[in-house]
Amino acid sequence: MRKPRTATVALIALAVGLAIGAAQILVVKVQTTQLRNAPQFFGPALASLKAGDKLEKLGEANGWVQVRTAAGVVGWIHSSAVGESSTTLASTGQPVRTQATANEVALAGRGFNQQVEDSYKAKHAELSFVWVDRMVQIKIAAAQLEDFLRRGHLGGVK
Amino acid sequence: MSAPITVWRAALALLVVCLLAAACSVIQKGTDMLGSAGNTAGTVQTVKTAADKVRSSFADITEEEEYYIGRSVAAMILARYPVYQNDALTRYVNAVGNAVALFSDRPEIYAGYHFLILDTEEVNALAAPGGMIFVTKGLLRRCKDEETLALILAHEVGHVAAKHGLQAIKKSRLTDAFMYLGSQAVQHFGSEDLAKLTTAFEGALNDIVEQLVVRGYDRASEYEADGLAVKFGARTGYEPGAIVRFLKTMVGDTTNAAGKGWFKTHPSPEDRIDRAGRAIAALGPAPKIDAARTQRFVQSAATLK
Repeated sequence: MRKPRTATVALIALAVGLAIGAAQILVVKVQTTQLRNAPQFFGPALASLKAGDKLEKLGEANGWVQVRTAAGVVGWIHSSAVGESSTTLASTGQPVRTQATANEVALAGRGFNQQVEDSYKAKHAELSFVWVDRMVQIKIAAAQLEDFLRRGHLGGVK
Repeated sequence: MSAPITVWRAALALLVVCLLAAACSVIQKGTDMLGSAGNTAGTVQTVKTAADKVRSSFADITEEEEYYIGRSVAAMILARYPVYQNDALTRYVNAVGNAVALFSDRPEIYAGYHFLILDTEEVNALAAPGGMIFVTKGLLRRCKDEETLALILAHEVGHVAAKHGLQAIKKSRLTDAFMYLGSQAVQHFGSEDLAKLTTAFEGALNDIVEQLVVRGYDRASEYEADGLAVKFGARTGYEPGAIVRFLKTMVGDTTNAAGKGWFKTHPSPEDRIDRAGRAIAALGPAPKIDAARTQRFVQSAATLK
């Protein structure tokens, strides 16, 4: 009687451990991006994502990661748009720290942010951000870029 | 004999039930966590980061921080050079730049890649962190085809992808900044912390601009960016040999226009030609130059005044 029970307990512990370990959470680290229906930049987008959104990792292929969103949508995102969240599902004790981790800073939108830029601008009235603001507004839409690549026989776009 | 079999059956049934329960529990926990994404500041304090470490180097600078550093570096570059205002040509440069960025190792960046032309005859290109990239009118005049422009922009995208700009920030500056940030997950700083953080930010910007405009990157970073240019350019479909053709035009060129920007901040073109040539040879079969691309380059460059 004893041996089978011990074996069962061990098996259950192993299975639960594997199941918990399998759920890896990623965090979107770019301002905005799209969840795509295939591991490529062009083609239909399934959902819009923003910085801080959490995604469940399902798999990966050629620099792309297959993920599930909070709303349950499954799609693909380029690996450069996400960071690994060190968030663990199990609650464990945490020693008191005096400095923040990159993940915490990213999630809270703090660190060098708009408030620091405003403070810096106030000290440096000689600097103009007019062209910086214009520059970041220059956008080549996905369809235009796809057309540019196609006409230039680039990127394997047919 | 029958008793152990019953026990095993019961154990198996129990295992199946437990596995289902565990799976449901994990899915539930996962969903709870995914659902909490919007509640950033509040969530941070309760999130467990057992495997995480406190920030210590340039690699720990977040995407958003890199963007804000890049914006101010861009403002400092734009204080030195006026912008060349030519919407059609600027859009063309942005199309070429975004094409090579898309096939780089870092196609996604916080606020995207953006390109501006500087109104100077100096031959130069500069990349601020965060994907804000500048090319001079003088450099555009040196380009004879889209391949050359693409490889030069891919070199700059390479600096951004490898975070060379952020590496210029002195370590002590980062240590200070990270310390002022503390561990409290608040989105707004008190005035004392903000003043200290602004000083650290200012120092970081000066470190980067000094490297970009005055001293230049070290040789290793330039060689790495050349290697990345070959890789990203060829991956996009551009003929990578264009970088060698461009560098050859710079050999022995000591005119004021070239000497002011490029020569001051880049290793000698001879060394780079050698290394880039080897990187191209290692690629195997590479894309060829394309008449349709050269034609649209010539049309766009014809508007250069």
